[in-house]
Amino acid sequence: MATLSKLAGQDGEQMTQQEPDRPVASKSRNREWFGSRAALFAGFGTLLILMATVSIDSLYTLQAFEIHNTQIRQEFVYREHTLEQVRTGVYESGDIISDYAVIESDPQSHERLRDEFQSIRNETTASLKACIESLPADKREPLQRLADELERYWLKGGRLLALLAKENKGLGHSALRSDVLSQYAEVLAITREVRAVNDNELKETDWRIAETFARFRRRLLVLGMIGFSFGLILATTTIVYAGRLEKSLQEKYRESLQAQRELKELSKRLVDAEEGERRAISRELHDEVGQSLSALLIEVGNLTEVCGEEAALRQGLQRIKTLAENCVNEVRNMALLLRPSMLDDLGLVAALDWQGRETSKRTSMLVETVDENVSESLPEEYKTCVYRIVQEALNNCSKHAYAKNVRVVVRQEAKYLRVSIEDDGKGFDTSRVRGLGLVGMNERVSQFGGVLKVESDPARGTRLRVDLPLPSAPADLEN
Amino acid sequence: MKKLRILLADDHIVMRTGLRALLERQPNLEVVGESENGRETVALAAALRPDVVVMDVGMPVLNGIEATQTIVTQNPTVAVVILSMHADESYVMRALKSGARGYLLKDSAAADLIGAIHAISQGKSFFSPKVSRILAEDYVRVLKQKGAVDTYDLLTSREREILQLLAEGQTNKDVATALNISPYTVETHRSHILQKLNLHNSAELVLYAVRKGIIS
Repeated sequence: MATLSKLAGQDGEQMTQQEPDRPVASKSRNREWFGSRAALFAGFGTLLILMATVSIDSLYTLQAFEIHNTQIRQEFVYREHTLEQVRTGVYESGDIISDYAVIESDPQSHERLRDEFQSIRNETTASLKACIESLPADKREPLQRLADELERYWLKGGRLLALLAKENKGLGHSALRSDVLSQYAEVLAITREVRAVNDNELKETDWRIAETFARFRRRLLVLGMIGFSFGLILATTTIVYAGRLEKSLQEKYRESLQAQRELKELSKRLVDAEEGERRAISRELHDEVGQSLSALLIEVGNLTEVCGEEAALRQGLQRIKTLAENCVNEVRNMALLLRPSMLDDLGLVAALDWQGRETSKRTSMLVETVDENVSESLPEEYKTCVYRIVQEALNNCSKHAYAKNVRVVVRQEAKYLRVSIEDDGKGFDTSRVRGLGLVGMNERVSQFGGVLKVESDPARGTRLRVDLPLPSAPADLEN
Repeated sequence: MKKLRILLADDHIVMRTGLRALLERQPNLEVVGESENGRETVALAAALRPDVVVMDVGMPVLNGIEATQTIVTQNPTVAVVILSMHADESYVMRALKSGARGYLLKDSAAADLIGAIHAISQGKSFFSPKVSRILAEDYVRVLKQKGAVDTYDLLTSREREILQLLAEGQTNKDVATALNISPYTVETHRSHILQKLNLHNSAELVLYAVRKGIIS
């Protein structure tokens, strides 16, 4: 975990190093890391690894216990079995010695009994030897002692048998006999001793297993606690992280909303400013330059009246007159292009009529304008908005739609000013085409909370509809 | 001979000076006053009772067209000639509706103003030749684009005669006297003419006549 956090810490440093312009205090960087995604990944990774380790460790430990336990029990049973065999062998050999001494007397029987004694001896010695060899060196001692005593017993027994074969009823053997008997008892005593040791060992093993299990339980508990605590910390961190994400998201959302509002406001001001500028320049051109040129024309006319018949002078004045007339026309056209004076002098309907006529003159389209119930005292910005939209729409009709007929309808209702511009041009796919013109119109309309709809069909031309909600106070009452 | 009394209304002093110089060279014209906005013009017209008002369209406070309407309503005998920068039918129509009898373009004022003043002071209509030409061209173009029938062809020769006289500014009574028929007959003809040409009032009738080149 320490390595992990160190690694992750380095990561965090690298991340901040990538943005060297942003000064970050190390404390806040630490805090930042605490709730960062990298930290969460590291945390969850560690938790999973911990859980996996604990599971594997437990499984492994349990399996090891089982194997160990089985092995110990098998060994115990094996030793028990060997001991039993030793005891049986000793009993049987005791019987043989008794039989040999008491019952049987013919050499053949003696021979058979000696063979039997020998085979028991071999068998028992082999079993015991195998058993001793299966044991680790430090546990061989009691069994080794048994084996030594047993060997002594076999030697003594063998000697007794040999002696009995020679002089069956002799007195010399009685001492040996008692010696063998005591050895016999000794071996049996040792077998009991060994058995007790064996039993003890088993008990001890059981106790050790129990103790190991207890240790294992404790370890499991500790690991579980660590895992739980770690999980708790992780959960807290996650909640903190999620909370911070949510907060920053909300912040971002609010910022973006604010930016959107500001952008809208800015665009409205831009449109207003543009319109204002246009109007000012148009007025300036029309009223100042245009009027001065008109006055100039009149003065030239006056001069012509009084200059008499001198041809050169008259021709000069005529040229000045022509120049000034051209100038007047230029200025008037420029002014109208910027903003038609009709819009301010005569109102929306007249301006739209004029625009329709001018478009008809310039292009091959026939523009028909229809007005229904349109008040001349509409607020200024509404007039401008509708005028500019119609201007743009007519522009589109002639440029892109190749229309022959356009019908512009402006209708004023109680709450809405509705405008529709229909052409019989080639139309377009509204889902795919979205020119800058339409975007601009939409922008204008949305400033008034209005709606712009475009219905177009490649076969049937285009219909543009604009619904502008009117200010709640009736416009007529404002004046 | 009594001089025609003229009121000059224009917010540009250079314009007024030029016009005054133009008019004062005429022995039978007299400039009795000048004003520089619509409201002042209305007041002066009421006070001075001029025969003719030469009115600029674009004036501060009250524009020329609205001033014309007020003046003509107060004193129907005053003849108003509008001076405008625009040869557009919206302006002409509005000027006619407001009660003006003449419509001149400023750039041709030097040539036409004297004639216009004399014509309108006699109760006739007067339009700058350029205005007449432009309106007539527009009319013909629209007819062509629409492929519509020229409604003028629907009129009888008598109706055409009466249309011209009315459009020139003559009253029903004048027309009746000139043609030696009763004023009621003139009125009947007039309403037929309006119906056939789809017109609604005298201003539209005059505009129509200008478009058709019947008067200028």
